[in-house]
Amino acid sequence: MCLLGSPGLQFAHKNSTMENKIPSTNSAISTLLQADFRTQWRNRRAVIMIIIVPVFILISWKGLVEKYGGAFALSNAITIGLTAIGLMGYSNAIARDRDKGVFQRLRVAPVPAWTIMMSRLAVQLTLIMITTTAVFVAGFYYDKISLDMSGYILGLLAAFAGGAMYLGLGQAIAGMINNAETVNSTTRLVYFFFIMIGMFGGLGVLGKEIGELVKWSPYGTVAHILASSMKPSTWDMESTMSLLLTAGYATIFSSMGIKWFKWSSAR
Amino acid sequence: MPIQLNTPVLQVQNLSISYGEFQAVKSVSFVVNTGEIFGLLGPNGAGKTSTLSAIEGLLKPDAGKIVIADYDIKEKPLQARANVGVQFQSTGFQSELSVTEIIRLFAGIYAVEMDKPKTDKLLSAIKLEAEANKRFGQLSGGQQQRVSLAIAMIHNPLLLLLDEPTTGLDPQSRRQLWERMENLREKGHGVLLTTHSMEEAEAVCDRIAIIDHGKILSIDTPEAIIQNNKDNPEVIKASRKGKITLEDVFIGLTGTAIRS
Repeated sequence: MCLLGSPGLQFAHKNSTMENKIPSTNSAISTLLQADFRTQWRNRRAVIMIIIVPVFILISWKGLVEKYGGAFALSNAITIGLTAIGLMGYSNAIARDRDKGVFQRLRVAPVPAWTIMMSRLAVQLTLIMITTTAVFVAGFYYDKISLDMSGYILGLLAAFAGGAMYLGLGQAIAGMINNAETVNSTTRLVYFFFIMIGMFGGLGVLGKEIGELVKWSPYGTVAHILASSMKPSTWDMESTMSLLLTAGYATIFSSMGIKWFKWSSAR
Repeated sequence: MPIQLNTPVLQVQNLSISYGEFQAVKSVSFVVNTGEIFGLLGPNGAGKTSTLSAIEGLLKPDAGKIVIADYDIKEKPLQARANVGVQFQSTGFQSELSVTEIIRLFAGIYAVEMDKPKTDKLLSAIKLEAEANKRFGQLSGGQQQRVSLAIAMIHNPLLLLLDEPTTGLDPQSRRQLWERMENLREKGHGVLLTTHSMEEAEAVCDRIAIIDHGKILSIDTPEAIIQNNKDNPEVIKASRKGKITLEDVFIGLTGTAIRS
């Protein structure tokens, strides 16, 4: 390898023995994952905010745990974390990298485009796992909320399903809006709206009609499937409807995000 | 074994690109050979970037064929891309990663073995040994440009695409980049660059194509283009110092109107 030349390099005709190589898909994904995890780690402040906010809300909700039950408190805290991952973390990261031309730089390399997005999503799925685990641990130690092993496992799976929906929403916003700063301000507004309306509407503070709306909203359905998954014995028809709606929202948002997403904001 | 010179490393045939109703590139054809620096010149909106984007595989053309090192980019996109190095106008790396980490990332995705001695050698070649662990976002514009060129060349591509590579560089850095391009040419690489600088085109390009409104108006060596157009009334009108320059020909062929 030499920056200024290529001693020994032969013209890369198909029969050449010194043709430039294409990395294996596994190798490409592994390399991209390392870089994406490292980038996420360097944005520790954002990661800490994503994890700390739901944990803080859970701890400060101690009084409500007895009133509404541990699963309710855990599910709302995790939903807040998932909302932050999809709206504050993922969408802003892809909008910012698109603005800087990071995606274009990667797309001209000999790797399939899907590996670039898959690596990004893998980082977010890890973040979902860490946030959910942090909420479970905080719930156990501070609020004495204890679930069956099946409750923890199904709760984590439900968190992935809900996380997929919020990642889809983040992708849709980054798809609809080209400018990174506008994506940032829009996702903040949507995040705030979701949290305030979702949390208080779910508690019934904003009235019955709003409460009903919230129940079938992206916030409500995710909170519901999380709560029901943590206590599998309480899974009912409403839970199944919430799961189907979550899958529907995820499909709609992801389709919009994939259809409208542009790899570059410049060209 | 050295690269075989004067062999087509990039063939663009009847390339057409539209954005909705607007046809940005109209049946453009040209060839870049190994051991050649080829310049694509044109005013803003002439179709340079669209042409380059199609060659990079970032834009799907309406019609035409692009072959890089014998690989049709439609049929064998990954193989074609493996033989191309690209330097964009914007540097395009994650600002949170260090220079070494960026080198490792791109070595990985271009399937280049990059151990520590090789990384050090590369850092030394771009004179960034001291900045090896600095984050990309902390580098100066010139240092970022050097990293960008190093990454474009990390896999020793046969074809190097440079999109306005000297924009924003000071004269010293610009000269250094020209020397690097000439060095690559001597080693047999093909270089395609877009530029607004006539001085740059005359200084380093073996051949140039002047493109406007999506069509190639003239394609030849800079000297031949000046010679062939010196009697054109529009070119004479554009001349400011009596002697016809490449810029006069460019203005004469593309007009004086400022493009957005």
